[in-house]
This record gives sequence, C-alpha cells and structure tokens, in this order.
Amino acid sequence: MAFLSRTQIVVAVGAVLLALYVLDLVRRRRLSEEYSLLWVLATAVIAVLGFSTPLLVWITDLLGMMGAASTVFAFGLAFAVAMLLYLSIKLSRLGFENHTLTRDLALLRHELDELRTRTSGEEGK
Amino acid sequence: MTSPARVLVIIPAHNEEDSLPGTLAEVRSKAPGVDILIVDDGSRDGTSRGAREHGIQVVRHPVNLGVGGALQTGFRFAVEHGYDIGVQLDADGQHDPAYLNVLLEPVLKGECEVSIGSRYVTSTGYKAPLNRRLGMLLFSGVVKLALGKTITDTTSGFRAYARPVMQVCQHDFPKDFPDAPLLITFARNGFRLVEVPVVMRERVAGQSFYTLGKQLYYPYKNLLASLMALIRRPV
Repeated sequence: MAFLSRTQIVVAVGAVLLALYVLDLVRRRRLSEEYSLLWVLATAVIAVLGFSTPLLVWITDLLGMMGAASTVFAFGLAFAVAMLLYLSIKLSRLGFENHTLTRDLALLRHELDELRTRTSGEEGK
Repeated sequence: MTSPARVLVIIPAHNEEDSLPGTLAEVRSKAPGVDILIVDDGSRDGTSRGAREHGIQVVRHPVNLGVGGALQTGFRFAVEHGYDIGVQLDADGQHDPAYLNVLLEPVLKGECEVSIGSRYVTSTGYKAPLNRRLGMLLFSGVVKLALGKTITDTTSGFRAYARPVMQVCQHDFPKDFPDAPLLITFARNGFRLVEVPVVMRERVAGQSFYTLGKQLYYPYKNLLASLMALIRRPV
C-alpha cells in the first residue's frame, strides 16, 4: 500500500477508529441505529479514500482537486454539512413535537384538576 | 345567531403576577358575560396561583412556548369546550376590555372571521418607540403586498377569532409570534380580516414578550414566515 502523504494515513486511521467508536456507541445504546448509519457510511468512505491511493488519485483528478489530501477533507466536510442539516431538520421536528406535547399536557393537566375538584365536591355532599 | 354566542377571553401570560389581577378584575367588571381562560406560559412566578385565587380557569404550560404557543393552547381549549368566539387579550393591561364589544361586533355579525383591535385605524394617541414603528411599517407593507389589503396594526395582540379560525389554528400555527405570518395564513385559508379602532395603554407591569434578542431575530423570522405562509398551501 503506497501512501501519498502522512495526512492520508492519519485521516484513514482516524476514520476507522471513529467508525469503531460509533458502533460501540450503538452497542451501548447511546446512539440509535438510525443516526449511526450516516456516521458509518461517512467514515467508511473516508477510510476507503485514505487506504486506496489509486482510487483517491482517480477521484482527485476527476474533481480537479489540487491535492489528494484535499479530496479526503472535502468528503469529510461534505459529510459534516450533510450531518448538520440532517440534525437541524431533526431538531425542528423535535421542537414541533415538543410544542404539541407541552400543549396537550397542559390541557390534560387542567382537565384532571377539574375532574378531581368535581369528584371531591361530590364526595362532600 | 339564536342563542347568545359563547365568548372565551384567552389571556396568554408569562410572569405576569403583578399585572394579571388588575386585568382580570377589569375584564370581569367591563365584560361580565364572557368566560376567561389564562394560559400560563411556563411562568416562574405566581401567575397561575393568582389567577386560580380569582376563580379563573388556568391552563399551565410546564415550559415556556412563547405567545403563539399559548394562544394555540387557548384555541384548542375553546374548540374543545364549544366556544363560538375566542378573544385574545394581553395580560399586561394594554388592552381595555371596554372595547370588547367593538371587537366582537363584526365577528358576531358575520362580517369577518378575524377582527383586529388596531391602534392605527384612526388616530388614537398611541405613540410607539421608533424601532417598533419601523417594524410595523415593514410588516404592514408585507401584509399589504401579500394580501392586497391594508392591515395597519399587524402586531396587535387584541383580536377576536370565530370558531372555524380556531379549529384550523389549533393544529397549524406559525410559531413564536402570532403577527404578520399568522394574518397571511388566515387570509390564505379564506378567512376575512377586519380592523377596528381601539385605544391601547402602556403596559402596567411585567415584561414584554418582545425582548432585545428577539428584536433582532424577529424581522428575519417574520419575513421568512410571511413568505412561507404565502406560498404554502392552505390547510
């Protein structure tokens, strides 16, 4: 395996370690399978680019990048942006659901209090 | 309408324990026929307790959702409890319940589904700070562009809503601020808007929903939400 640069080795090894850590998080139920998918895919792509120099050179030429290392970082950055957008969407949805739940909880709580007051009033009769 | 319309005054309140009792007393004395609902939007003071001591119904959000969320809860409540009209009124004493009849009239007559108590339809002596005036001019313009109709007081929190409006809005509602985007949403859903002149006062106590951070975020959010309300398909 002929590496182009030391950066490439660092990135590739880092990607593999990160993938292992992500899988371990899933094992310990700290991360849901749904979220792990994007991470595993991204780390796999980065690792493949890092270890397979011919592929990396080919993609670098294809995209007209200045250097092979830039290609690896470009993929990493693209992933980071995708992940952030994905999280923003998820957050918005969670916020919306949270809103709805809060309102429902408030109304139910009110109804419960009303019912309690009414029942205790009837018992007193 | 054969039987008199059931009206619910919805008062969104966030940390308003100082001004709420006065507002409640005023509504009761000036508009004795209406029911009142306080939506306590996650207050950390005695807002809920104070209202309950007055024998007023209180729905309490466990966390703060903002005035839009509080209003939406009020709508849900009004729809579930069979009210014909919901009136939004600020807890801080800005809105004079004496104008309740003026506000209700066009809705009762079936002339519109939403009536807005406006400071600017006729000169009522209200003087807003400059940043507020600029904002109002901007969003009045946005609404005018979107609807081809002039609503001078887009931020007025003194409004009456017919039941169908509340039915639609209990589920779909622009978050945070019920201003220009909400008005556009109403119109897009085929509801008619009417402005009636009212006199507003300075807030008595407590803190406005519109804090400094929100003042910067507000124009951006409201412009975008207005645009989205316009291009989004009606419910």
